Amino acid sequence: MSFVVQLTINGLIAGSVYALVASGFSLIYSTNRFMHFAHGISVVVASYILYTLFSIAQIPFFLSILPTLFLSALFGFFVYLLVYSPLQSRNASNVVLLIASIGVLILFQNVLQAVYGANVKTINLLETNKGIEIFGASVTHLQLVIIFFSLFLFIFFNFFMRKTRLGKEMRAIADNKELSRIVGINDRLIAGASFVIGSFFAGIAGIFIGLEYNLFPTMGTDLIIKGFTGAVIGGVGSVPGAIIGAYILGLAENYGIAFLPSGFKDAISFVLLFIFLLFKPSGLLGIRRNGE
Amino acid sequence: MKNKILRIKKSLYVLHTKVRSLFGLLDAQDANSMLKHGVFAMHLDIKKVSKNFGGIVALDKCSLEIKEGKIIAIIGPNGSGKSTLFNVISNIVSAGKGKIYFSKEDITGREEHEIAKIGISRTFQEVRLFKNLTIEEHLKVALSDSDYKLIKSFFYRQPNEDDRIKEILEMVGLKKPVSTLSSELSYGQKKLLGLAVAIAKPHSILMLDEPVAGINPELRKEIFRIIKELNNKGESIAIIEHDMNFVMNLAHYIYVLDSGRLIAEGTPREVQKNKRVLEAYLGK
Amino acid sequence: MILLFVVHVLILISIYILLAVSLNLVLGYTGRVNLGHVALFGIGAYTSALLYINGIPFVIAFLASGFFAGFSGFVLIFATKRLKGDYYALATLGFSFIVYSLLLNLTSITRGPLGIAGIKKPELFGFAITNNFSYLTFSSIIVLISVFIIWRIVSSPFGILLGAMRDDETALKVLGKDTKMLKYKAMGISAFFAGISGSLFAHYISFIDPGTFTISEIILVLTIVIVGGIASTKGSIVASAIIVVIPELLRFLPLPGGIAGPMRQILYSIILIVLLLYKPRGLFGRIELE
Repeated sequence: MSFVVQLTINGLIAGSVYALVASGFSLIYSTNRFMHFAHGISVVVASYILYTLFSIAQIPFFLSILPTLFLSALFGFFVYLLVYSPLQSRNASNVVLLIASIGVLILFQNVLQAVYGANVKTINLLETNKGIEIFGASVTHLQLVIIFFSLFLFIFFNFFMRKTRLGKEMRAIADNKELSRIVGINDRLIAGASFVIGSFFAGIAGIFIGLEYNLFPTMGTDLIIKGFTGAVIGGVGSVPGAIIGAYILGLAENYGIAFLPSGFKDAISFVLLFIFLLFKPSGLLGIRRNGE
Repeated sequence: MKNKILRIKKSLYVLHTKVRSLFGLLDAQDANSMLKHGVFAMHLDIKKVSKNFGGIVALDKCSLEIKEGKIIAIIGPNGSGKSTLFNVISNIVSAGKGKIYFSKEDITGREEHEIAKIGISRTFQEVRLFKNLTIEEHLKVALSDSDYKLIKSFFYRQPNEDDRIKEILEMVGLKKPVSTLSSELSYGQKKLLGLAVAIAKPHSILMLDEPVAGINPELRKEIFRIIKELNNKGESIAIIEHDMNFVMNLAHYIYVLDSGRLIAEGTPREVQKNKRVLEAYLGK
Repeated sequence: MILLFVVHVLILISIYILLAVSLNLVLGYTGRVNLGHVALFGIGAYTSALLYINGIPFVIAFLASGFFAGFSGFVLIFATKRLKGDYYALATLGFSFIVYSLLLNLTSITRGPLGIAGIKKPELFGFAITNNFSYLTFSSIIVLISVFIIWRIVSSPFGILLGAMRDDETALKVLGKDTKMLKYKAMGISAFFAGISGSLFAHYISFIDPGTFTISEIILVLTIVIVGGIASTKGSIVASAIIVVIPELLRFLPLPGGIAGPMRQILYSIILIVLLLYKPRGLFGRIELE
């Protein structure tokens, strides 16, 4: 019994981490209608910035947070400004944007490796061994915080996308860019805003992930694949949907390796991604792009 | 004696094409041959076709007939569903309800390329060309109705199609060098190329979607003449137009669509006098 | 010393030429971005290596690598037949992840993360290829023949059909062409040659592991194709030479050890992004990536 609870807790933790990544990615996708695959590296860049500030420069943790978040948001915004926006003005297709995005991911992955080395880094803020027991399964305080924060994100984004003006404008330009322009919405500004906000959340994700896990440069690829898969499962066009999908993925992975050798954990997510792309690309809850 | 042999030959031919049709092996050249042999008359029969897009009714129980050797026009105000009708016939858009028969064969919902192979050739309202292909390449693609067998392509020289290409381009009046990319053509020239491509493709019926939309009066007259010339040679043609004047002197029979419904049909003169038609165009 | 280095670089160039030209067949001529091309390369490499190690004659192992990769390509087309644009590209990327995962986890067959070592240079028709110089001759002949075949295909009427499919698939269907079959044929050829270039690679490098065939590799091959120009066979050849040589020249720079590896990839990705932004037709392409 406690075995099942442990699996569930592990699934929730994994799901929360994926949700942190998926939410920012999905916000950007649902506004811009193209895939910002490089979102994964925004997360990792944030982790490494935190590492640099806290572990190397020895700046106190709570002072390190704000610069980390600020710089992550800025990073994502610059990728939009320097890469996506010029491509969009030349009417580049989504395929081109995707390839450019993967290029950015690989680029910064290697920049991080060149600067920090391929060795694993850790941010030693909290003691990792102590935790609490719930129904016979163990979970640390940090992990609980991550889970609750992700649940909070779900509620927050539900509210944000539906009730706030910015959220509504984002959905408007996603539905019909031309029309929204006519109505007076500055679509480039909103698009930029989506990257700032999405990457800000990538920063939050990066901080949590940096605290919970070891850092290595190629994490970005793994994270965005998981985050993206979660988003596809739940529905790429919907941020709350992406979060739910991320949880489904986390749980599926952890229940799955109860039956399969543990090396197949990643394979589970790849297969799920493939299946959903093939049979239900709009996800369980999501919105299809116009005309598809 | 000679007649008997001819009749046997014809029956064998009919049998052979029936078998091929069973296996989906008929193509437009066969359809053409069958026409020449009098095996059947080209007949496109659209029965009670309906199509919805979400909540919007694009077509509502439309029934039309396009007979061999005739020019049929489908007219109606913008948004009345005319292009949707063509798209349903080509199965670019699937029919919601209803059936489409091509010379007694049910072609509803068949794959686009199969419908094309049976002998239906068409143009698009918004000229669809291959922007990185030259004029010559367009016609080469259109002329052969079979998939180029890969190995044949590799070893054999293709039959010389240059004469046929020249012939079609002259008929259509496209005077640019054949090595010109289609993206380098003016709008009018693109329309002509689209027409040339549809003519080049082996067919027993031509469906032209707004062949003169956005065209200057000079070119309009040219295209009018080309269509008449094609029909004089025995071609069956269906035209979508919303310019009533263009079709009045051209078509043998006219169908009028409004908001997806067939509101009138008849000879040009009959349709011209029809009150409902005038209301549809001018608004009540 | 220099001569050995040059031979080494030339062998690599020949392998990448075949990889790029075969990718260009689907990318340039059907317009669909197959991000799983390197997975097919890996399937070919593993097939050839495993068969040869188990005593199968090289010629059979070599052809098998092509056919098995080709078959995998068919499976990929079949699975993704209803997808378009970036969803298609992502599904092919997903395919490459699945292949990677299989290579990593089916340890009884593939030896997992340990990879396969000691892949010997081939022995065929009584000749044993023992040194790099004769390997260069061998790979050059194979690549020359392969590129010639592909070039003949794309310049043929069949190639025109593929180009038309890239430009407007529906318009081509309406002209009576079965585009589904075209996709299978194009992918089959492309995958076959990706597979045999995998075999050439495995028998030269003599060690392969799942990590060789990852997302970085596909970006590399894609960069070559875009630099050379979509739908330009000549472009892919020239670009392969350029893109392979530049990082090898980095070896002569006094860079600290940990930087050389990532430096290569930093270069590729920058070239790719800059090209997409400013020169999407590449060196010889008439067509832009779409």
